Order: sequence, then structure tokens, then C-alpha cells
Amino acid sequence: MNVETSYSGTTAVATVSGRVDSANAKDFDQALRAIIDKGVSGLVVDCSGLRYMSSAGLRVLLIAIRKTNAAGGGLALCQVPDHIREVLEVSGFVRLTKVFDTAADAQASFAG
Amino acid sequence: MEVRNELHLALDGDEPRRVAEMFEEMAVEQDVPVDIVFKFQLALDELLTNVVSYAFDQDTSDAAIKVTLEMKDERIVAVIEDNGRPFNPLLDAPDPDLDLSAEDRTIGGLGIHLTKAFVDTLSYERTEGWNRLSLVQPLTAHSEENA
Repeated sequence: MNVETSYSGTTAVATVSGRVDSANAKDFDQALRAIIDKGVSGLVVDCSGLRYMSSAGLRVLLIAIRKTNAAGGGLALCQVPDHIREVLEVSGFVRLTKVFDTAADAQASFAG
Repeated sequence: MEVRNELHLALDGDEPRRVAEMFEEMAVEQDVPVDIVFKFQLALDELLTNVVSYAFDQDTSDAAIKVTLEMKDERIVAVIEDNGRPFNPLLDAPDPDLDLSAEDRTIGGLGIHLTKAFVDTLSYERTEGWNRLSLVQPLTAHSEENA
């Protein structure tokens, strides 16, 4: 798993790639916490390179959703591969976070 | 198509990934549809993560976990066995409330919830000190559903 981040004011786009499971969910958690701790309230997670994610990854997203909500922003996802989208749907996460086609659309959702 | 692999696992948090990736390799070689490869490996990962995390107490010297993966007769069969404490994830895991807000949601039970949604038939039995979980996935499910 790898996370690359680009910052723009109080929003950021974190592009996660590879595999997120119980063996490395802690690293994913630390990466997102570090971004939010820099003062980011609108966090976009770009899933274009995400090959696999289990419930351990959902747990990390839930924590990041809570933290960004509390900061007055939120978390949005973009470029979600079909099989990951199904994980989000079955787990009810599509009700907790918005899913956009592009990172630009997701980032724009925090502008207002 | 007929392949069978038996794997013995150490009590280690990295083991579910090893099994999931081994399954993926095996299934791709057998031309299993990618959608089923993903869902079945997620189920294996979730169930094995439960076993390595919760099935055993501190004294793990006698701990044994084994997985049998079999692909034949147009179906995938996996059997997960462990000699840990009795636990039936199909009944004993809490059902997650998917309608709660992010603030009120708990993550418990989500792995089992996904597993139940993603695998056709799951069964559990406890015999002579062993938990035995079976996962069965026909490879023709989609065509049957559409018929």
C-alpha cells in the first residue's frame, strides 16, 4: 500500500494504491491521521489505484470520516473501482461518505 | 479443472494476507471470474483475520489453523479449521446497524456481514475441539441467477 498526498488549503487529495487489509490498516490509519493533523478538514481519498480493501480499511475510513466531520468538513471518495464500490455499498458506507467520479469534483464539494 | 491446496497457518497477523493472495493466484490461474476472485478472497481474509485475532488466548503453543482450498466441479470450496475457543461467526458476530451515522456506527461485525453477502454458502460446525467453517461458491451462480 502507498499513499500520496497533495494539499490545497484545508483540503487534500490522498491517492491510495495497492492493498489495504488487516496486516497494514495501521499504516493507512497513520497516513490519514497525519494528513488531518496538518489542518485538513476536507479529505478526498482517490481510490483509482486501490486493488483490494477489507473491513480493516473501512474501519480506517470511518475514523477519518468522524475526524473530518468534527473539523467541519468531511471525507469524499473518488475513482472507486467497481469491486471496492460494492464493498462500500454492502457495508452501508455510501451513506457515510460521498463518492465522486473525479478528484476535482470531490474537492469542489468542500468549496461551499 | 481440479486443484487442491492445504495450508497450515502460524498465529500471525500477516497470515490472512498470505492465504488470500495464494487463493487469488490459484483462482486467476483457473480463470475464475475476477468478481468472484475478489469476493471470495475478501471472505477468506475476514474469517482468517477473526481466527488469528480472537480464537486463541495467550498460551498459543498448541494453536493450529489450517485452510483447505479446492476448485473442482465448477465450484470453489474453502474449509477453515482451528482448535481455538468455540466461535460461530455466522451466529455469534453482532449484526452491524447500517443506518447509523458515522458518529454512532461501530465497525464490529462488518467483516462477517461482507462475507455473508459475498459468498454463496457458509456453514459452521464444532467437532472434537475444532471450529470448522466451510465456504462454497459455485462458479456458475451468475448464469443461474440470470436464467
